[in-house]
Amino acid sequence: MIGDTLLLQVAAVTDIAPGLRHLRLVAADGGKLPPAAAGAHVQFVLEGAARTWRNAYSLVSRPGARDAWEIIVRRVPTSRGGSAFIHEQIKVGDRLVAGWPGNLFAPVRIARHHLMIAGGIGITPFLSYLAEFGFTGAGHALHVCCREGEKDVFGPWLGNSPAVAFHWDADGHRLDIPALLASQPAGTHLYVCGPAAMNDEVMAAAAAAGWPASHVHCEHFGSALSGGDPFRAFLARSGIEVDVAEDESLLDAIERAGVAAPCLCRGGACGVCVTPLLEGEAEHRDHFLSAEERAAGRLIMPCVSRARAGRLVLDL
Amino acid sequence: MLHSDIKSRPVYRALEPDLSAAGHLLVIETATLQPGGLASLADAFAPVAAKLHTWLVGEAQAVPGLGKPWHLPAVADVVDALACATRGYGIGDRLYVQGTEPFLWSVATAAAIVGFGPDQIRLCHAGSLQRRVWCTHCHGFTEPVTTNVVPCAGCGRHLLVRDHFSRRLGAFMGVMVDTEAPGEVPAIEEVFA
Ligand code: FES
Repeated sequence: MIGDTLLLQVAAVTDIAPGLRHLRLVAADGGKLPPAAAGAHVQFVLEGAARTWRNAYSLVSRPGARDAWEIIVRRVPTSRGGSAFIHEQIKVGDRLVAGWPGNLFAPVRIARHHLMIAGGIGITPFLSYLAEFGFTGAGHALHVCCREGEKDVFGPWLGNSPAVAFHWDADGHRLDIPALLASQPAGTHLYVCGPAAMNDEVMAAAAAAGWPASHVHCEHFGSALSGGDPFRAFLARSGIEVDVAEDESLLDAIERAGVAAPCLCRGGACGVCVTPLLEGEAEHRDHFLSAEERAAGRLIMPCVSRARAGRLVLDL
Repeated sequence: MLHSDIKSRPVYRALEPDLSAAGHLLVIETATLQPGGLASLADAFAPVAAKLHTWLVGEAQAVPGLGKPWHLPAVADVVDALACATRGYGIGDRLYVQGTEPFLWSVATAAAIVGFGPDQIRLCHAGSLQRRVWCTHCHGFTEPVTTNVVPCAGCGRHLLVRDHFSRRLGAFMGVMVDTEAPGEVPAIEEVFA
């Protein structure tokens, strides 16, 4: 399979819990898929009846697997509709266009010890980490914060590993993040993937405990970030005006208008979609632009950021 | 040829504590201290004095303000002490080292073995410019080297001391200087005094 995109076929659909759907995908031509390392994600094109979504999901299949890729999708009740599409429409035999795997969240292989903290569905990138660490023997610990009822859902990926601990919102079961971060040996790398508030809490606790920033790694979910008030954007080079609805991102609207915009993570992390902003004021929601760049107001990341008020004019 | 513009040379800065750190270990080669040097280090580290350990390597009169200093005879003892530490070092700890380049990198390498990452270690050069030289032919070390050309302690070849520095070895590269014309060794000058 060679080209800009890959054509996949759904080989199996399994609802592993209410609102959690597992997909197994193979190459539509029966060939091999490109290999992807631990922490990789793939962007899928989801063709709904009325509109198209492009959502990125972490691969939970064994790193390097070429026969099939697996993803786990949580149905997001509000915000973007791609996850609802996967939960309602996708069936075995369907074909999906996907991008090549990208990886913005690979484990640091010189680490002495890997400490992972997952919030809810943020566990997905760590399922591939665990497969890698099981193979390499690297020291690791995974702390999962989730609903009590969901702690057994990931059993098939976790086995009975003593390195995995579950935490939920009840006395005696909450994760004491500052205590955990204060007691880690030199040479540890920390990875966090969860809702924005949890990510922020973990990053702040790590800084307070003296962790060097180079040992702290965070993956944000994009999908929950991109909705908001509707607004209008003018693409100056294409001469096209697009209306951005409340449940779609600026990037979605640009793509819907038929304008090709570069992107990779669709979550404000990779920096690939950076676009010059000619007019208007952006509400920055990305994790890429520096404070100075935000203040200058000349750039925007359309995959997550929106208009603060009124219309935006993009050099696109 | 000797002083090429090697961009990978480490850059050293005066030591100051990282205020966010959980613990601080300061290791000083005392022979390189200027008069009053310890007192000014004590001033710099005063904000973290409660979490500071100081190891004085070589002869020294301790000064107040450096916590309870620990005296060690030589750099080899620092390496042993790091390797045998009964209390493990944490990811929030910082190591600060001051001394000659061979001293800095002996300590930094020993710390890396027990898990310290590069961003947990701060180095400040002080004292002589003497170098540790690694022979590209026999892989032996020669130390201390203060001249542009030095006979290798391992194989006896005359080595030109280059500016190429290896952080892993904590040493500069030495290559045979008279390969093309055996016996033609340039004037030996003291350039790293
Ligand atoms: S696509 Fe990665 S930051 Fe926008």
